[in-house]
This record gives sequence, structure tokens and C-alpha cells, in this order.
Amino acid sequence: MLSIKNLHASVEGKQILKGINLEIKAGEVHAIMGPNGSGKSTLSQVLAGNETFEVTEGDVTLNGDNLLELPTEARAREGVFLAFQYPVEIPGVSNLQFLRTAVNAMRKHQGKDDMNAAEFMKLAKEVSKQVDLDPAFLKRGVNEGFSGGEKKRNEIMQALLLQPKLAILDETDSGLDIDALKVVSDGVNALRAPDRAILMITHYQRLLDHIVPDYVHVLVDGKIIKSGGRELALELEAKGYGWLGVKDNTTASH
Amino acid sequence: MKSASTLSSAFLQSAGQALPEPLLALRANRASALTDLLLPTRKTENWKYSAKHLKLTDEMASSLPLNASAGAEADIQGYTVVLVNGVVRPEASNYPALEGLSIQRFSDLNGDDAELAADLLGKSISDQPAKHGSINLSLLNAARFEDGLLIQLQPGTVLNQPLLVIHHTSASHSGSAFPCILVAAGSNSQLTLVEDYVSSGESPVMVNTATEFSLGDGANITSVRLNTEGQNVQHMGTTGVRQQRNSRFASHSVGFGGTLRRHDLHVRLEGEGAECKLNGVVVTQGTQHYDNHTTIEHIAAHCNSEESYRNIAADKSHAIFNGRIHIHQDAQKSNANMSNKNLLLTNGAEIDTKPELEIYADDVKCAHGATIGQLDNESIFYLVSRGLSPRDAKVLLTMAFINELVAQIPVEQVRDTANTGLNQFFDQAFQEV
Repeated sequence: MLSIKNLHASVEGKQILKGINLEIKAGEVHAIMGPNGSGKSTLSQVLAGNETFEVTEGDVTLNGDNLLELPTEARAREGVFLAFQYPVEIPGVSNLQFLRTAVNAMRKHQGKDDMNAAEFMKLAKEVSKQVDLDPAFLKRGVNEGFSGGEKKRNEIMQALLLQPKLAILDETDSGLDIDALKVVSDGVNALRAPDRAILMITHYQRLLDHIVPDYVHVLVDGKIIKSGGRELALELEAKGYGWLGVKDNTTASH
Repeated sequence: MKSASTLSSAFLQSAGQALPEPLLALRANRASALTDLLLPTRKTENWKYSAKHLKLTDEMASSLPLNASAGAEADIQGYTVVLVNGVVRPEASNYPALEGLSIQRFSDLNGDDAELAADLLGKSISDQPAKHGSINLSLLNAARFEDGLLIQLQPGTVLNQPLLVIHHTSASHSGSAFPCILVAAGSNSQLTLVEDYVSSGESPVMVNTATEFSLGDGANITSVRLNTEGQNVQHMGTTGVRQQRNSRFASHSVGFGGTLRRHDLHVRLEGEGAECKLNGVVVTQGTQHYDNHTTIEHIAAHCNSEESYRNIAADKSHAIFNGRIHIHQDAQKSNANMSNKNLLLTNGAEIDTKPELEIYADDVKCAHGATIGQLDNESIFYLVSRGLSPRDAKVLLTMAFINELVAQIPVEQVRDTANTGLNQFFDQAFQEV
């Protein structure tokens, strides 16, 4: 599915990713953990195609295709989905119109007919219930005036609508209370499928209580310094990042 | 080729044969005032950014033919009056005989009605002497008009559907047109007037318009102005509004850029409790130009004004907004709110915005804000990361910038025309690479 080899990336001349290697197979859920500033969000933005970040070395392929050669929209249409850590508020653009345009762009790419407004409304209402969002949110501006938790649920709703091959979740748990965390986790678990890969990026291990990963990686200073199974996250929670010889001004536990 | 330097030599007067005596007298009076008036230059304060777009030729000095036909108009529903080159075409018009409503062309006016029209024009507020090195080109209209429309609403008359006035400029050869509309709205009357400025033909022409509204106590008037004239048309328009007690005036304008596009909107809140709401949307591209000048005068106490204008400029185009609020000494408890937001789509585009506040009363609320920005890259990335093409993302964001104002236009037909024009604008402005 996703293969990352020796990935280096910088922003404004500052090197952030310093040689990432990662293989994710279809059906797997991987978690990347790490202290603040280790490059977790940069990795997710680079994979989605944010041109603010410059890839200076390395390769990324999705099902054998060179991902780095594709513009952002082509990556999305090939099935890359990034749930943003900070979803952007776009007043004036209705959520419904945005989502329908996105779904139809995807359908066009897949050689399918456009969904008309009525069909889409029906689908969107079903999916919004799945993440416990009032369908009234569909008529509001994209993320406009949404609470932190509502924004995160809106991201997961988009993933459920777009049915990506690779879903990257960037700190999807941050800012969520325990009930919202449950809803979001249920949504993510609904995404788990044999033909889909999920990459979760998180600072805390609590999300992993709800979405149990197959593999856990620790990202520090732009490199993955340790990989393991689920138990690695628990060990990190118990011992903190300091256990790996890493300075962190926050603690890995909640 | 421009050889004239004064307004009276740049625009020649024709006979105006069809006009009734009071209007002819007024026209002659205004014409003499033009004699020494110079054409605006970049040193003319209110024409600073627009003077270079005023490109007159000797051929444009004569009035366009007064008997041009309307041609094939689009299928128009409802109450319609068609003017071609400033002259009313009754055969192309369709308006109701309603009790309390009178729609007359100037050449048909007699007696009291002719006096009323001359009186309204004579007192027209946009006709005040120029100040601060500025120049008022509605003077030109008053000196040169050939015909016009007097719309009178008796007290309490309510028109249940919009009245559409199509100003058609037939530019088969060069010349100028001076359409003029007067609306006298009696107390508690209601009307939505749509003015649609269109053109046919390719020759360079000048259109100099004047629209005057006089609102009696409690009158409720909505003015919608749409300009889709061809690029060969230079347009200088003026709208003047006088409001008595508790009257409501709403203005919605949608302007597409052109060689020269200029609209001056001047509202006087003369009676207590009067309210006005002014919305404007402008889009320009290529080397187009659009200049909106608005003035709101709070003269009586307890009046409200609410103004929102948005400009979008692409390519190397130039959009201008100048918003003046003048609160007179006795206008206590005035509430004025002015907002102008601007979106630059390219580095080569230019937008100039200038709020001007003159406040002589001490117990008022007066807020103004102006912003100029570009499309937000983070927002574009967010939309594109969901599979939208960069073009679609930019169209969505640009439309979002003005949609709030477009959606408020109370006439569906105008909204549709506006949206069609906006889509053409987007096709040009965001060509897929």
C-alpha cells in the first residue's frame, strides 16, 4: 500500500524529516507517536502534498505509484485522505456544497456519474449521524464556528464519505472530551477495512485505547527511532519519551 | 482622439424637441452651467483613479440616434420599461395600469407632472455644486437628456412585483446616451426597481445616467442595479436618494468591470427614523476598471445606515471604492456602519479603498472597516486535499467572498444574471493550467 523510503523534507530551509522509512500494508493500522516538534505533522502534510514543505530526498509510493509526483488533488483522488489537526474554517462555503463537490470529483475520477443534490443529501445525512453531527451542520459554512470536537467529527465524516485507500489522522484526538473521543474512534474503526490502510498520528496513547493499532512507531527529531506492537505505546505511557533518551517538555501520558 | 477639454464641447447638445417646456428650461439652465466645467483629470479629487480611463473621441460628442430599435430583447417577464439610447420605447415596454401608479415618459408629461419632474431634477442631490476639487457628472445628464421616465407612486401604493427598466445602448456607431429616471414615492408606498444596463454594437460610446429617488414618509424602496454592458461602453452613472421620516431604502448593485465604469450613489437621510442599506459587488479582470463612490448623509436624528461593498480584482484590473459618511450636526443618535472588503486575485491587480467620515454630532455610532486580502492558501490546500481541482477550490472561495451579498438580491432573475456573469468571470480568472 504505502511505502516511504528515506524521506527528507524541509520547511523554509529547516530540515524537519531526516530519513523516514515506513511500510504500511492494506488492512493495517499504524500509529506514529512522538514528542512535540518531532515532525509528525510535517510527515502527514508532506504525504497529502502541502507545497509549503519541500521534499529534499527519498521516495513515497502508494500501490507502486510515485506519490510525490502527483499534485495534491490527484493524491486525494488516488485515495489519500488527511484528517487535519487544525481543520480550516471557510465561512461562506457551505459544508454540503463542498462535500458534494469533493465526492463528485472523486466519482468522476472513478468513472462514475455525479451524485445529484438529493442523493447526496441522503448519504450525507446518514454519515453525519454516524459521527453524531446534527445534519444542520451540513448547511453551515465549512467548519465555521464549529467547536474543536465538531471539527474533528467533520473530518471523520469526510473520510467516511470519500472512502479513501489511505487515511492519515493527524492528532485527531486532540481537543476531544471523552465522549467525543468515543464517537470519533467509532468512526475511525468503521473505516477499518481489508483494502484500507490507516496512519494515526498522536501525541498521547489514549486514542490507542479506542483504536487499537497493529504497529506503533516512535518519531523523534525527524526519524523513526523505535517500532513495535501495541505494547510499545503502553510502555511509552508508563515511562514517558525520556525513557528513549528523548527530552520532552510534555508527558506522554494524559 | 480627444480634442475637447470642457464638458460642453465634449458633449454636444441636440434639440431635445420632444421635451415639455419646464424640462427644456431646466436643461438649458444646466447646459449653461457646463460651459466652463473642465473634464476630470487625475488631479480631480473624486476622479483620481478613473480619469485615465475616460477616453472620449469627437465622434462620441453627439447623442446616439433617438429612434434606434430595441432589437430582440431576452424573454422578459413582468413589468418592463425599455429605454434605448436614453429614449423610452413604449412598444417594447409592458407595465400595468395600476391605481396609484403612474409611469410616464418625459415627452408625454404636461402640466403638474412636467413641473414635478423639473422640480425633482432641479433639486436632485447629486446635482450639488462640486466641492473639494471634485466634479459631479450627473450635471452632464441634466444638461443633455433627451427623454426619461417619471415613476410616481401615490401614498400607500404597493407594487407586488419588481419593475424592470432596461437601459439598452445601441452602439452601432459612436455617440453618447443620457438616460434619466425619476421616482417619486408617496408615503408608505413600496416598489422594487431593477435597472439593467445592457448594450449592443461595438462602437465606442459613453453612457451617462441619472436616477433620482424621492421617498416620502414610510416609503419602502429597493433599487437593484446591474451592469453587463459591452467593453466598448464607458459608463458614468449617478443615483441620488432623498429619504423622509421612517422611509427605507435598499440598494443592491452588481457591476462587471469595463473600460470605464463609474457609479456614484448619494443618499440623504432627511427625516428622522429613515434607514438605508447599500450593498455592492464588483468584479474586474483583464485591464478593466470599476469605481464606486458612495455618500451617505445623516441629516436628521435617529437614522440608520448600513453599507457593505465587496470588490474582486483579477489580472491587471483596477477596482475602487470610496465611501463617505457625513453626519450633520443635528443628526444625533445616528447609527452608521460601513464595510468594504476586497480580494486581489493577482499581483498585477489594484484595489483602492477610502473610507471618509465627517462627523459633526457628538452622540452617534459610526463604524467603518476596510480590508484587502488574497485567497487563503491554507483554505485552498484544505479543499484541494479533498480532491477538488485548484480551480474549483478558488471558485468556491471567491464565490464565498461575495455570495452573502449576491444572495440578498431580492429578484431571482437578477441573481441568475449575476451568477451567469460571475461564472464567466471565474472561467477567465481561473483558467486551468
